[in-house]
This record gives sequence, structure tokens and C-alpha cells, in this order.
Amino acid sequence: MGRDAFQETDIIGVTQPITKHNFLVRNIEDLADTVHEAFKLAQGGRPGPVLIDVPKDILQNKTLYRPLASVNSLEYFRATRQPELSSSAIEQAADIINKAQRPIIMSGHGVILSEAYNELRAFAEKTNIPVITTLLGISAFPVTHPLSLGMPGMHGPAHVNQAIGETDVLFAVGLRFDDRVTGKVSEFAPKARIIHIDIDASEIHKVKVATVPIIADAKAALAALTTAVKPGDHRAWISEIRSWETENAERTRRVKRDEQYPDPTSILEAIRAETGGEAIIVTDVGQHQMWTARHYTWTRPNSHITSGGLGTMGFALPAAMGVKMGMPDVPVWAVAGDGGIQMNIQELATLRQQGVSVKVAIMNNGYLGMVRQWQQFFHARNYSETPITGPDYVKLADAYGLTGMRITRREDVPAAIHKAMITEGTVIIDFVIESESNVYPMVAPGSGITSMIEESVEEDSNHD
Amino acid sequence: MTKHVAPPKRAGQENAPQDGGHTHILVLFVDDSHGALDRIIGLLRRRRSNMQTFAIGRSEMPNVVRITVVVNDSEVGVEQLVEQLRKIVDVRHIVNLSFEQAVARELALIKVNSTAAHQNEIIELGHLFGAHAADVDHETVTLEVTGSADKIDKLVTLLQAHGIREVARTGCVAMTRGTANT
Ligand SMILES: Cc1ncc(C[n+]2csc(CCOP(=O)(O)OP(=O)(O)O)c2C)c(N)n1
Repeated sequence: MGRDAFQETDIIGVTQPITKHNFLVRNIEDLADTVHEAFKLAQGGRPGPVLIDVPKDILQNKTLYRPLASVNSLEYFRATRQPELSSSAIEQAADIINKAQRPIIMSGHGVILSEAYNELRAFAEKTNIPVITTLLGISAFPVTHPLSLGMPGMHGPAHVNQAIGETDVLFAVGLRFDDRVTGKVSEFAPKARIIHIDIDASEIHKVKVATVPIIADAKAALAALTTAVKPGDHRAWISEIRSWETENAERTRRVKRDEQYPDPTSILEAIRAETGGEAIIVTDVGQHQMWTARHYTWTRPNSHITSGGLGTMGFALPAAMGVKMGMPDVPVWAVAGDGGIQMNIQELATLRQQGVSVKVAIMNNGYLGMVRQWQQFFHARNYSETPITGPDYVKLADAYGLTGMRITRREDVPAAIHKAMITEGTVIIDFVIESESNVYPMVAPGSGITSMIEESVEEDSNHD
Repeated sequence: MTKHVAPPKRAGQENAPQDGGHTHILVLFVDDSHGALDRIIGLLRRRRSNMQTFAIGRSEMPNVVRITVVVNDSEVGVEQLVEQLRKIVDVRHIVNLSFEQAVARELALIKVNSTAAHQNEIIELGHLFGAHAADVDHETVTLEVTGSADKIDKLVTLLQAHGIREVARTGCVAMTRGTANT
């Protein structure tokens, strides 16, 4: 290597900034250890991708497999990087929580990664603190729970962002204060003292300076804190937030809607009803992703899979295939836009070839919808390159040897979902939804999250 | 090595104490493994560290290299950087030293124009800084000097009158003062 041989690429160099670690195997004897190490590294601490570059000559070699050898440098890495729960930090945090007037729990992906669902729930119930889940934290806490508030940030419902605006103690666990969550940072939780729990020390103070940083696994920290805190009563604060929620709902109810098309809520509700809430929902990137995050009734832990901060379109179909292969007995639905579904459409062949059964709901608005929405709001409806044509998905499914349906009326949605569930193999449903509906509310990029663009009666009548 | 560069503003740290730039010496003990150096340099670039010098060499341990990085950053910024560097698998250990806690030295070679008439003058000036002539030729004198970055800056400034042809500096290496190990 290093001489520009046929197809030689510096994969180690190319992948360095996007992997947790990478390995170049230079000796066949190192291969087994490297694979073991790679899996441990990928799964340990804050999980992340690890790449192994196995050159051609190594692949053509032979060796005897042997289990992981003795301690090496990576063992050393893991031994010294295990976070230890600081009891003084737990005490300090408990004290702040006990004295809080308007506290909020914000729960992120870390809670799901450490499977701390019961710990989160026990903590929230004992302290009586309402729970916000970030996009990747969705499904860690059942949305049907009286303490569940919803998602924060750019497309969070208004009452969630209002609550963040008013909270005096923000208890953030397993999250990194992404800019889609915070909006303008100085206006995010401006009145709050922050308790920040994360397993990755480099996330602490990165965006918001924490009053009490706790570097720990979410499960351990939540369990310790539940023991340390006093039972709380925040009914007044919760009903204040609920009153904002009702006010906002009243306001948007006045907007006249077209009832004819299938809409995200009807599609998602039909999926939930048909699967008894047991499905795993994998979304792509765009409007449908936000609608699904917001409007699906999340009750099954870890049932929401999406590409978070990287926002990679094309994620849903292959990811859903992976989920189904890992959990063959669970119904798996991919929900995608008509843009993103086409970005990895070739996986329909894999699904067919491997006999994997994924149900696909395309929310087809004929646009790269989320970008169109930005063009509408911020670029005077200059719909440049966002209107898109797609294939006939019924014919496409047929061409791959799969089942396809097109649904154009709302009343046909439940029957279509039912048919998809009882049909063997992968099924694609092309739901023709309203072409220019938007995700509301929306926080303009760079604004504080409490200044939201809401759906208004006037704007809607402008549509025609 | 300037101490006066403003630290880069990091997105979203408005609520962090804006304590201005401080010079920090980061000492990293790193496995001498494939790609380790790339990972460290890449991270310093991606995280927009305000790097002043970078020096690498063997340590007292076999297969462990010692890297000394001087960065100019706010306290919060440098803490972030240390935690990010700590996540690199090849980094065994990392120490954030202040200049007060450290013996910090840099070596420089300075090639200066010199006629026979000025040779002694240049060498004498060098002596005031503990420098010695590493090489003398008809038209040039090459001084070798060790010390703090400030001291080297000062000598370079004074030698400018003669015309400097080349300056080669190693970047800072450092160690904790006293008996304690870094
Ligand atoms: C690979 C990739 N390309 C471009 C983008 C930018 N982008 C974000 S959302 C979006 C539009 C998505 O359109 P569609 O898949 O139809 O979903 P919708 O928003 O209509 O639900 C685009 C282009 C992206 N996130 N990923």
C-alpha cells in the first residue's frame, strides 16, 4: 500500500473523522484480536462506529482462529475511561432537585442506550417532574404517561419550548444540547440551573455550562438519584404547562384543514392500532420524520429509530431492514418521504432476496418537503429544485416482486395498513398526502426556541 | 508563539465564562500506533483549537510517544479539547499544564548574515541568551538557543538588524516542575 495500486484508497484516512476508531490489519495474526477489539470499542461507553480495513492480501491469507489474547493497549483504554459516579455530585444534584420550583427532565438517546427506562420512570414519578424527550430520546418514556410532555426544539410543540423557557432546574440526561434542540443558546432555558448527566465527558459544558455535571452511565446515575431525592409535588407547575398546551391546541384547531387526503396522523394512528403499539418505526429525514416523532403514540421502549444529528436521507429503508433482521418477530415500519425513499431504493432488491418483511409507508407530497417548507418560510416560496417526480410505486414494488398500494383518500388508510400487515413480505404503500402542508410550529434557525412560527388561519387561506 | 491571539469563539458557549485566551501546555502520552498522530492532528483541526506549537518525540516508555501541544484557548475551550483528546483510543494519558507549573523549553536554530567583522558581535549577543554558535561560515553564523518562546522571540528580534536567513524552531516541550511526574 502507499503506491496507488488499483482501487487503493486511504480508507483509514477517509474514515478517521467519522468513526470512533479505525484499524488497519497489517498481519493476519492480528485479525482475530482486531475484530474482538472493534466490537468492544464500538459498543462500549458512548457507542459509535469502528472500521476495520482488511487489505486484499490479508483476506487471501489463512490463519487459525483464536479467542481474544491478553491485555493490550485498548484494554488499558477501557480500564482508565470508565466513568465513576461521584457521590458528591449526586448529593448536590439531589439538593437542587429537592428545592426546584419548576423543574423539567430532558431525556436523550443515552437513556435508551443504557436501557434506563425503568430508572427514568421511577425518578420522574418520585420527583413528580415532567419529562421531555429529545428526537433520539423518543420512546424512552411512554407518551401516554401523565408526566410526558413531548419533544423540544425546532419542531417541538409550543408548550414544551415554553416550559423550557420558564424552568428553573433543567435535568438533562444522556443528551448533547443539539442546536435543533436549543435554538439560540443564550435564550435556551435562560432561568435554569442545569444538571447534566452524560457518559461522554466531552459533552459536559460543550454548549450549555452545567451547574452540576455528572459523568456517568444514565442508568446508574438515575438509580442513584432516585434514592437520593425526596418525593416531590409539582402539580401546579404541570397544570400550568398543560394550560399552555390546551391554549395552543385551541388556536390551531381554528385552522381549516383538507380532510380528503391521507394525513400523517391518520397513517400513524392506523399503524399503531393495527400493530397494538408493538411496531418499531424507522423514519427517514424530513417533514414525515417530524410528524412521526410528534404524532405517533410512543409506548414501546426503543421503538423509534431515526437518523438524528446527521440527518441522512436514505436512512429509513436499510435501517428498517437491519431492525427487522435483528428482531424478526416484531412488526417494522419504515416511514419515509418520496425524496428519501429513492435514495436507497435498491434495498428493495435485498429485502426481496433475503425474504425480509418490512412495511414501508411513503408520505408522498411530491416535494422534498422539508426543504420546500424552508423555501416557503425563508425564501419567498421560491421552490427551487424541490418539486420532485418519482416512480409509480405500485409498479416499482411489482417490478421487485413485492406488493405495492397507492392510497389517495383518508378513509382508505386503515384498510391499507391492515392489508399490509396481513400480506407476506415487504409491502410499500404510497400515501398521497397534501402537497404543501408544513411542520408546525417551527423555530426559525438562530432564533430562541420560545419564538415559534405557528400555523395561522390567514396563512392557510393564502395557499390556494 | 504569541500569547495574545484571541481564542476562537465556539458556537453556543455564550453562557460560559468568557475568560479570554490562556496558553495551555497539553502533554499527551500516546501509543506509537498506526494513525495515532493523524487522529490527534485531525481532532485539533476539527475542534478548531488555536494551536501554537506541536512537538513529538520518544518518551521514557517503550512504544509510547510524548506529544507536547501548546494551545491558546479559554478554560472551557481547553477542557473540551482535553476531553475530546482523551477519547482517542491511542491516547493513554493527557495532562493540562499551566506555564507556572511547568519547565517549558524550545530549541531554535537561527542562521544570521554575518561578515567577518560582525561575527564576534553576533556570537557575543548569542552568549547573553545562552546561545552558542552551532555553525560559522564566511557569510553566516548559525546560533543554537534553548529557552522559553519569549526568550527566543527576543533574540530573533535583536538579530534582525543583521539579517536573518532562516529560523528553525522545535516547538515547546514541557515537564512538571519538582519531583512529581507529569
Ligand atoms: C442525503 C441528504 N441529502 C439532502 C438532505 C437535505 N434534506 C433534508 S430534508 C430534505 C427533504 C426531504 O424530502 P422527502 O424525503 O420527500 O421528505 P419530506 O420532507 O417531504 O417528508 C432534504 C433534501 C439530507 N438531509 N440528506
